[in-house]
Amino acid sequence: MATHNATLSRQARRSPSAWHLVVAVLVALVVLGIYAYAHELSEGMAVTGLRNIGPMGGATWGLYITFVVYFVGLSFAGISTAALIRLARIDRLRPISRMAELLTVVALVLAGLAIIADLGQPLRGIVNLLRYARPQSPFFGTFTLVISGYLFASLVYLYLDGRRDAWLTEQTAERHRGFYRFWAAGYRDTPAERERHDRATFWLAIAIVPLLITAHSTLGFVFGLQVGRPGWFSALQAPSFVILAGVSGLGMLAMIVAAVRRRQHREEELGVEIFKWLSTALVILVLSYLYLVVVELLTNLYTGSSRERDVMSELLFGDYAWIYWGAIGCFVGALVLLIFRVALPNLRGAVWPVVVAGALVNLGAIGKRYLIVVPSQTKGTLLPYDEGSYTPAWTEFALVIGLISLGVLSYMLFTRYFPIVEHPQPEPAEREEAQ
Amino acid sequence: MKLSRRTFLKGTGAAGAAMAATRFLSGPGETLALAQAQGAPVEDYVPATCWIGKQECGMVAHRVNGRVIKFEGDPTNPRNLGTLCPKGMAQIMPVYDPNRVKTPLVRTNAKGQPGQWRQASWDEAIEISAAAIKEARDREPSIVLWQKGRSKSKYVYDEAVTETLGCTKLGHGAFCSDAGYRAMEYTVGLKGVLNPDFKHTRFVLAWGWNMTNSGGNQLCWITWPRQMLEARDAGMKIVFVDPRIRGAGPYADGWLPIRPGTDLALAQAMTSVLVEDGTIDQEYLVTYTNAPYLVGDDGFFVREGDVPLVWDERSEKAVPAGSSGASPALEGTYTVAGAKVRTAFEVFKEHIAARTPEWAADICGIPADDIRNTAREMGAAASIGSTIVVDGKSLPYRPVGVMAYHAMQQEMGFQATRALAQMLMMLGALGAVGGTLSTTKWEIDSKYYEWDAVEIGDGPYGFTLSSSKYFPINSGSTAVAATVMNDPGAFDVETLPEVMILHMANPVVSFPNTETIKEAFSKLKFTVVLSPWLSETADLFADVVLPAATVEKYEGPNSGSDTYIDAVTIRTPPMDPLFESRGEFDIYVDLFDRLGLLEGEGGFIHHINEQFELEGKHAMPTDRMPTARQILDAYAKGHEGIPEGIEYFEKKSSTYVKGPIPAEERYGYAVSPPFAGVLHRFYGESLLRYQHTMKDKGADEIFWRDYTPLPTWRGLTMDDSPPEYDLYLISHKLVEHKQGRTSFVPLLKELTGGQQLDMNTKTAEARGLQDKDWVWVESQNSVTGDTRTVKTQVHLTETLRPDTVSMRHGFGLWTHPEAQDQGPSPNTLFFTGPGYVANTADQSFQVKVRVDRADEG
Amino acid sequence: MEACKVENATPESSFFMYVFRFEQGEYPASRISFLPRPCMHCDNAPCVKVCPVGARYKREDGIVATDWDRCIGCRYCEVACPYGVNSFNWKDPEEAQYLDWKDPVITTATDGSIPPYRNPALDEAYGPEQRKIAGGGHVQGVMEKCTFCVHRVEEGLDPACAQTCPVRALIFGDLDDPDSAPAKALQQRESFTLLAEAGTEPRVHYVGGSPPTEDARQVDAPEVRV
Repeated sequence: MATHNATLSRQARRSPSAWHLVVAVLVALVVLGIYAYAHELSEGMAVTGLRNIGPMGGATWGLYITFVVYFVGLSFAGISTAALIRLARIDRLRPISRMAELLTVVALVLAGLAIIADLGQPLRGIVNLLRYARPQSPFFGTFTLVISGYLFASLVYLYLDGRRDAWLTEQTAERHRGFYRFWAAGYRDTPAERERHDRATFWLAIAIVPLLITAHSTLGFVFGLQVGRPGWFSALQAPSFVILAGVSGLGMLAMIVAAVRRRQHREEELGVEIFKWLSTALVILVLSYLYLVVVELLTNLYTGSSRERDVMSELLFGDYAWIYWGAIGCFVGALVLLIFRVALPNLRGAVWPVVVAGALVNLGAIGKRYLIVVPSQTKGTLLPYDEGSYTPAWTEFALVIGLISLGVLSYMLFTRYFPIVEHPQPEPAEREEAQ
Repeated sequence: MKLSRRTFLKGTGAAGAAMAATRFLSGPGETLALAQAQGAPVEDYVPATCWIGKQECGMVAHRVNGRVIKFEGDPTNPRNLGTLCPKGMAQIMPVYDPNRVKTPLVRTNAKGQPGQWRQASWDEAIEISAAAIKEARDREPSIVLWQKGRSKSKYVYDEAVTETLGCTKLGHGAFCSDAGYRAMEYTVGLKGVLNPDFKHTRFVLAWGWNMTNSGGNQLCWITWPRQMLEARDAGMKIVFVDPRIRGAGPYADGWLPIRPGTDLALAQAMTSVLVEDGTIDQEYLVTYTNAPYLVGDDGFFVREGDVPLVWDERSEKAVPAGSSGASPALEGTYTVAGAKVRTAFEVFKEHIAARTPEWAADICGIPADDIRNTAREMGAAASIGSTIVVDGKSLPYRPVGVMAYHAMQQEMGFQATRALAQMLMMLGALGAVGGTLSTTKWEIDSKYYEWDAVEIGDGPYGFTLSSSKYFPINSGSTAVAATVMNDPGAFDVETLPEVMILHMANPVVSFPNTETIKEAFSKLKFTVVLSPWLSETADLFADVVLPAATVEKYEGPNSGSDTYIDAVTIRTPPMDPLFESRGEFDIYVDLFDRLGLLEGEGGFIHHINEQFELEGKHAMPTDRMPTARQILDAYAKGHEGIPEGIEYFEKKSSTYVKGPIPAEERYGYAVSPPFAGVLHRFYGESLLRYQHTMKDKGADEIFWRDYTPLPTWRGLTMDDSPPEYDLYLISHKLVEHKQGRTSFVPLLKELTGGQQLDMNTKTAEARGLQDKDWVWVESQNSVTGDTRTVKTQVHLTETLRPDTVSMRHGFGLWTHPEAQDQGPSPNTLFFTGPGYVANTADQSFQVKVRVDRADEG
Repeated sequence: MEACKVENATPESSFFMYVFRFEQGEYPASRISFLPRPCMHCDNAPCVKVCPVGARYKREDGIVATDWDRCIGCRYCEVACPYGVNSFNWKDPEEAQYLDWKDPVITTATDGSIPPYRNPALDEAYGPEQRKIAGGGHVQGVMEKCTFCVHRVEEGLDPACAQTCPVRALIFGDLDDPDSAPAKALQQRESFTLLAEAGTEPRVHYVGGSPPTEDARQVDAPEVRV
């Protein structure tokens, strides 16, 4: 059990003040977010930059929904990577499996919170969404499938997958042993248990894959089924959502892996192989996404109705052009960086280009999510209302930053108290031996 | 009037439980709970009368527990037939406005600056006002000035109040059509401008009639658009004559985008086409106008004794007009007593021979062909010679109408209106079925005679300049009076007003020119204001403000006629006056009581009796102080013969419908004798007489030049401004802000936003201006050289002539918190001095301006 | 617009009934036209479909109703509606009203009702389903829109807009009844529905005239103040 001892002790050796400082800043930001939300609750959503579509010339969905979509997207890559690793038994990627799972869980919780933040009547929302649930509404899909079902499945997965490590940690941990014991819940890492566990997570992984495709498609449907919003009504909406989800999720995962690798000095376990895989997957997804972007662009410019064209030209040349081209720039930049990483000898195998690419595609994804949500409302009214505009208010920024901080904080706390990298499974030989 | 009481579906217990559950989920204070009396609310409907505009639409007040929650149109009122305009609908808000004046106020600081006030009792406020009025009146009654705003209860306010005081009365004229009134009084004898007979007309010239946004002749906004649309559904065509087509909405079949102020030229060009084509109603002109009168070389009628001569075609000699058996010639040049004479019509023909569409095209900025075609279309539509049976009577049928009202408030307004009337005279359309009317009933106003016999004195003149060598025919305009007050010496005026009773008017903002009015009002010694709000004029100049009630009071009578059905309305309060406000009737009764002018012969009650034609048992006793309700009860019983008296209006309906107006009262041809026996002054001989007298007495040309017997085009005063003032500014109305008391009503303000400068897109492009750019608008008075400047935002439009810019009527208020930051009133930019007002002393709303880019905000 | 605002005591900048004023064409061939825009009460209403809690629903009589007692404020109906008819309550209803009606001088005169012209009938429940669907509430964080004045319609009255229109441009009635005024108008004259291509099957028909063209520019849009 040397490895996990080393893990925890290595962490302990780091200067606690830096860590505490980061935590303190994050807590402060979370408090700011809570304050912003309290302000919004008491004064009403008038304190946001949101306004009615049409007569008020505003957007009724803005930054919150942008980040709901973005967070849900992040979650996609997490659990799908974890499931993929399990199903395809890609053992070399196993060290990032838990990071991926945790990313999913954290992102989904943030998405749920962002939805609550966006509701005019949050209390009613929680009660009525269950009490009067209407499966016909794509929103129901978002809420039940994505947030509830998907989050539940991911939690179970994370839980099951972590029991072994919990038990192993409990053996050596000096503090919080109760927590580990609770998680392990009687798990003793016997070969039989291990086997049973393996089977359970395998089937769970199989179940999660269609669930997550459906879930992300449903989120696409929230927008894609709306005839009344130029720029939204499109069959490409669902696949685009899924692929962009993959892009942002993998990018985020790359950043997390690099952070853990550096902080926990796991250069060996989180080796170049992993980054190579992440990089390749990212390249494929970004290319696919850009392909969809071009297809959509051509379709809308060529045959789209005039209102579709109006919205598209607002994106390309109008008020939103800087975001649009900025986002495209991010994707292309990431792509170029990843290709250089392979092509240029002195970059080959370097980690930082993957991290930077990950950051770029996430920026790009946030931009694109914003562009999906907002311009179709401000510039996409089918009746000739005056052109609208939307600028998020400080409350919205504060709340979103609070949410992100909450996510980072949760992630940091988790990695501090739980092995974020799975303990190596015993070799098959060892297994047999144990039997 | 239906009176319904509705039981609500739920008892209060159940509703309370539901409310509690809602509270849990939505948080406290989020539902607008109504603090209700125990038990189900009592709901009812009582009559009321709209107060905000000029036509007193009938209303039904929807009440819950005695509190009015909505005003709806009264279906029995012929004018609005159950509907209301946005102003009327929004009126519920100003009624409850927390910014109303709640108690009488007495000024505590110097005048000319924003007022500081102390609250006073009614007793004290009336006492102070009465003392000031009495002091001035005892010296000279005419130095007491009574200034009204929107006309209401004319018999009581305009007549009884002013007669009792013997004071000087100033017409409102804020954006009225005084020049048009004077022209029609003088020419036809009717107190009104021009409106079509929509029920029968086939072709209408909407002459500056902003038909989707403002009123027209006689009526306010709500009735005309309905009648216009009904006529249009029946096949009527409408051609719009206006620098901007915005006001026509989608309803214009043609548009003549006329240059501001050139209406006279256009009317004469169209008339010349009719004359050239011979589209002339000879019979009308010969029989009912002075067109056949013989005119000598000096321009005056040739007379025998007092009677003008006509040329009898039968006897081929000049005979006195009206000689039996004579057949007067309409045209021709004859020799009478050795002198060459022409008929007045002949003079006119020669006068307009050169006034062709080509001539007018340059002046009006409209292609000559468009003018000619429109004239011919109108001529054809007039179907001269045809008749129609109405109410069993065969009458001339001339289905061409003109709606001209506010547009006549211009530099040449008096003569432009006469030019329009002459155009209609060619067709015999004045007073014909389907033709053009002026009043609801064809009743001759005494002014017809008075304006023909003005004795121009030598001065010193009264400050309104009536019977003066400057404005012998006179509208009694506040704007002109203000100009005089600022420089009395220039107008031979010695006595200036000292005390003003300001009745529901806000001249500082609603009359042009703001600076002139302010300067003049600062000279007044005492001003008492009757108003529900602290008007801008009150803010600067009132010594005492008396809070008048709005809709919640007794007031009347007012006409409820839609021009086809006769009706009378009396305002009754749907609830008690809010705060300490009171109706004006009661205020005046109190004031006159304090002045000792209430009772007895010559007292207020006596004058009301006279105005209401109350005699014998119906007359109010002149020795007893009446309430407003008693006054109107006397009217209802005594004048209208309604047995229930005022109760009819309190309980049954806002409106007492008397029935259709028969053809014999309505059409000029149908009244007996036709046109009530007056001869239409086609040729204005007395105008020439005045011109001579004015010249003799040394008046400048600028005053006498428009006193011509025939309307005569001349270059406009505003066109003498330097070339950098290269745009014409006009103001237009929005239906939401047709009256002054609207821009602080949040509901109405929301619909329109504030001031803006409409500008043609191409004009803006040439100046590098874009939509919403800030600009300085500077007007210039070409006579005095004065300039005035305001700042506003450009609004680009394709519905306006490129050489014209337009601002919205209204705005520029500052006392009401909701009215601030709406931008300036265009009245700041218009001028009212000599050259800028018509020859009848009224106002104009056109000026040359320059527009320059300004810094933001 | 005003009758609607007064009848339903709607907050500032909230328009159940909205009237477009368009400018089309270039000088001198320019024109103005008007287009009233209530809720279309679509038979195939996108807003009803997307509502996650069934607060937005289609009544038997065809009215698309909003249960302001159930709505959670997700505003999905608003993004789904092609006509822009939805109006969210962005703030406290008392703050959202015009003027300060909490002035004690006013409240003593008006029973404490805010605004003073508020009709208590708006707070009642309607229809066999007995749900809170009249233009009441204005509850913070809840969606609302044109109700066709259901509280009036159930009493046999016309909606406030149709009742007050000075030129009778708005005709209200049961389209399923061939003798109703709107059904007759539709038989007699050409008509269109707004954004027919969206397949929403609106129950508001425009008789005469034509849909706004592509070059229609809105002029004099109401001032927005929240």
